[in-house]
Amino acid sequence: MYGWTGTILRIDLTKGKVKREATDVKMAHDYLGARGLGGKIIVDELDPKTDALSPDNKLIFAPGPFTGTFAPSAGRYEVITKGPLNNVIACSNSGGAFGPELKYAGYDALIIEGKAAKPSYLWISDDKVEIRDAAAIWGHDTPDTTDLVRAETDEEAKVACIGPAGEHLSLIANIMNEMHRAAGRTGVGAVMGSKNLKAIAVYGTGSVQVADPDRFKAAVMNARKLIQAHPVGGAGLKAYGTDVLVNILNQTGALPTRNFQDGYFPTADKIGGESLAAKQLVRPKGCFSCIISCGRVSKVDNPDYKGFGEGPEYETAWSFGADCGIDDLDAITKANFLCNEYGMDTISMGSTIACAMELFEMGAITAKDTDGVQLTFGNTAAMVEMVRKAGKNEGFGAKLAQGSYRLAESYGHPELSMTCKKQEMPAYDPRGVQGIGLNYATGNRGGCHVRGYTIAIEVLQNGAVMDPRVTEGKAGLDILFQNLTAALDSSGACLFSTFGIGGAELAEMLSALTGVEYSLDEFLRIGERIWNQERLWNLKQGYTTADDTLPDRLLNDPIKTGPAKGEVSHLDQMLPEYYSLRGWDEKGVPGKAKLKELALN
Amino acid sequence: MIVKYFATIRTYTGESERRVDDTPPTLGPLLETLAARYGRPFRRAVFAGDELNPEIIILVNGRNVLYSGRLEAPLAEDDEVSIFPMVAGG
Repeated sequence: MYGWTGTILRIDLTKGKVKREATDVKMAHDYLGARGLGGKIIVDELDPKTDALSPDNKLIFAPGPFTGTFAPSAGRYEVITKGPLNNVIACSNSGGAFGPELKYAGYDALIIEGKAAKPSYLWISDDKVEIRDAAAIWGHDTPDTTDLVRAETDEEAKVACIGPAGEHLSLIANIMNEMHRAAGRTGVGAVMGSKNLKAIAVYGTGSVQVADPDRFKAAVMNARKLIQAHPVGGAGLKAYGTDVLVNILNQTGALPTRNFQDGYFPTADKIGGESLAAKQLVRPKGCFSCIISCGRVSKVDNPDYKGFGEGPEYETAWSFGADCGIDDLDAITKANFLCNEYGMDTISMGSTIACAMELFEMGAITAKDTDGVQLTFGNTAAMVEMVRKAGKNEGFGAKLAQGSYRLAESYGHPELSMTCKKQEMPAYDPRGVQGIGLNYATGNRGGCHVRGYTIAIEVLQNGAVMDPRVTEGKAGLDILFQNLTAALDSSGACLFSTFGIGGAELAEMLSALTGVEYSLDEFLRIGERIWNQERLWNLKQGYTTADDTLPDRLLNDPIKTGPAKGEVSHLDQMLPEYYSLRGWDEKGVPGKAKLKELALN
Repeated sequence: MIVKYFATIRTYTGESERRVDDTPPTLGPLLETLAARYGRPFRRAVFAGDELNPEIIILVNGRNVLYSGRLEAPLAEDDEVSIFPMVAGG
């Protein structure tokens, strides 16, 4: 096979057995890899009723065909499992260098089953696979874990691991690789923890085979040229990182503030990419094969929040910043470092703390609940302390570590959890930007921006423009983004390469790499197939059209201040057309004709 | 009127905002005045020939000028104009 390695590793932690299997060629052709392939394996092999934190769940690490090649930004892999936060097919994407190393070791996917009898880690070196004792590293944070595992295996090994949060089965626990990159969302770290699996170290001496090297090289060089010429892909992201979004979202009036109580944060400039570049940035950093270099190596000198690491991204600056009413970038960056070290999703962590702040200010919880901490909006020290407590599963932190939905519900106010399908919404207010609201509501994994990033068109003028305040045309826009992104996420390419290239360039590179001819239409159809596959799984979990919604606040409470003052989300004007264009019935169930067209059961 | 600058635009202007006392009637003359003040890098960022540069994002009170006439977008005394280069995502 070209692009794919042709081998999948199946590891049964209960029995301590390792099996090599051939990659199903048709499955690879039809689902590509990463998100699509991993999702298909979950659908085929997992009983939908499986408890996500039981040994019966499967934890899949899967790169895509591009991963490990010199296609632009081709470093991506996904962690796919039944997500404990909300029972969806959790498919969490990460960069760095772990994915390429999996390909070099010879694998299209690792399927991890069962549960080890005691804390363990995997050491994969080409064909050699060992399940090793992790007693000495259990309890350690992710940077220390990475160092310790490399010392025991190979200094060149790439390591994916959980921190204490995953060990404690926090529903917002993530998996970190190369210490600073995260498979962030939906609690994938808790699944790893539930299997007593602390880390995976991988080292490979192989390479990725290319079907048509001349055609691939031409397609790749063309793609790289387009990205380099693009103002965002070629320069903007390197200079300021994603945090540059703070000011444009705020000036649009759609920066969610204080748990989405408002959409404008007057001191936003203090936490944006410009401030980050001036005060904390050491240097930009890129993943494997990436010229975009959106990553931030950063440091905080302030002795209260001293630290060195990577980040924060826009979502993180928002979740610990505007969403908590905080404009202290040092504290925000420290919270980001802590989340990386403990292994927690920064979006869900910040949004959960914001929810707790609102509950505190309204008196639904008191200092007795919060271990004496005055958990009010704007209380910087309290925010950072709560991140630590959640990471350690200590006191009130243990409640925070289960996410805002369970927190708010336990205090009788589920309506104050700013979630869709129990996953926290990210940093764009649907009242100010209509299309992203539809994306949040219909997102297969719940509140999520990256799986249908209409912001690129509604706010950022990336190639086309649509007015963020209108609903017309947004259903079609969302569907296009969701389908393209699903295919892209399954290919091993990075989402940010779309600041420069589109489906046509991806399809051309994929064809040259694999030797399988993919037209743009076919590439998008694969994305549509994967989207519908995830939807069907959700229907089996009991999700209905009633769950394709937004919190009441966004439907009924207008933004209070700023440029989008007075706006609400008009989801009801977009959802019926969305279902119809997708070939689903009025209840959001995919029709037989659509399933046949996509070759889905 | 206040004009706010972001990201690389700040490097061209040397400041993050400027109060403008004599509000021009439309965007075009405002940008001309600012370009005369800040020089060629700013001019090249906001104009492409006689047109608005497609790689610049200009909001007036949070609304993109692409929907209110581009260089003909009307301006009022209390308006807030924000000027961004095309920026990131994620």
